[in-house]
Amino acid sequence: MTDDPSTEQGAEKPSDAPAGDSAPRPAERPAGPTGGSGGGRSGGSHSGGSHGGSHSGSRGGPRREGGGPSGGGPGGGGPGGGGPRRGKRQYFRKKKVCRFCVERVDFIDYKKAEMLQPFVQERGKILPRRITGTCSRHQRWLGEAIKRARNIALLPFATEL
Amino acid sequence: MDERVYDLIFICQPATPEEEIDKLVATLQQTATERGGTVEKTEKWGTRRLAYRVAKNREGYYVYLVLRSTHGDMVKELERRLKVSDVVIKFQTIRLDEELKRQKKLVQRRERRASRRPRKPAAAPAAPPAVPEQPAAAAS
Repeated sequence: MTDDPSTEQGAEKPSDAPAGDSAPRPAERPAGPTGGSGGGRSGGSHSGGSHGGSHSGSRGGPRREGGGPSGGGPGGGGPGGGGPRRGKRQYFRKKKVCRFCVERVDFIDYKKAEMLQPFVQERGKILPRRITGTCSRHQRWLGEAIKRARNIALLPFATEL
Repeated sequence: MDERVYDLIFICQPATPEEEIDKLVATLQQTATERGGTVEKTEKWGTRRLAYRVAKNREGYYVYLVLRSTHGDMVKELERRLKVSDVVIKFQTIRLDEELKRQKKLVQRRERRASRRPRKPAAAPAAPPAVPEQPAAAAS
């Protein structure tokens, strides 16, 4: 416990100092791999944060950001993992916006199969909201439209081999 | 009873001659008017690839109708006729009036909102990435 934060600080302090103005960006990169190889990533960053608070208040900010991307990296790799991306700062994650809300769509036409195509997987499954970023209301309409299109053979229920 | 709007799509065998399809559409129109409905729009989409096999066909001739009626009987009769017909391999009727009503309502609401207050420009959220740099610079 006491060793990990100290090594982290040791790794970060030199990287912080020579960087100067653009400090946070280079600091993130080295902090990420060290945190990951350390094993207990979340525990290490937490204790580091408390240590930093006691040592120097000003440096607490950058260090926690250094921990953020290291947690965000694995979270981005696996779309199913909801843990790391929620709590830590979302650095590389672009906020998803509902495509239909942006275009002010009031009615999703089931007859436009090409329009529905991007919301369906290769095998014909409806893509979940967490991947497409569609809002709940439009996802409901979209599901309805896709099912109607399937019924009239505009979209597949499942692709045949 | 309120007037209802329906979408009717049916798919014919791809080998069906055009005249036969026209004849079928004409009879459907006739039955619709007989049952107190109107045909608002008729579209022939032509031969399209089906997403899956229907009655051993990989292609089908799509015909699209928009109907208006106050009687549900009309749809029942039309569907019965489509079912009996040999050339029709698939059909689907969808009641659309409630969705159109909802759409109209949403459009109206948006217009009302737009008229109430003029559009304000969105603030550019470029600040957050720049902020953390300053404390680090101050520390070093």
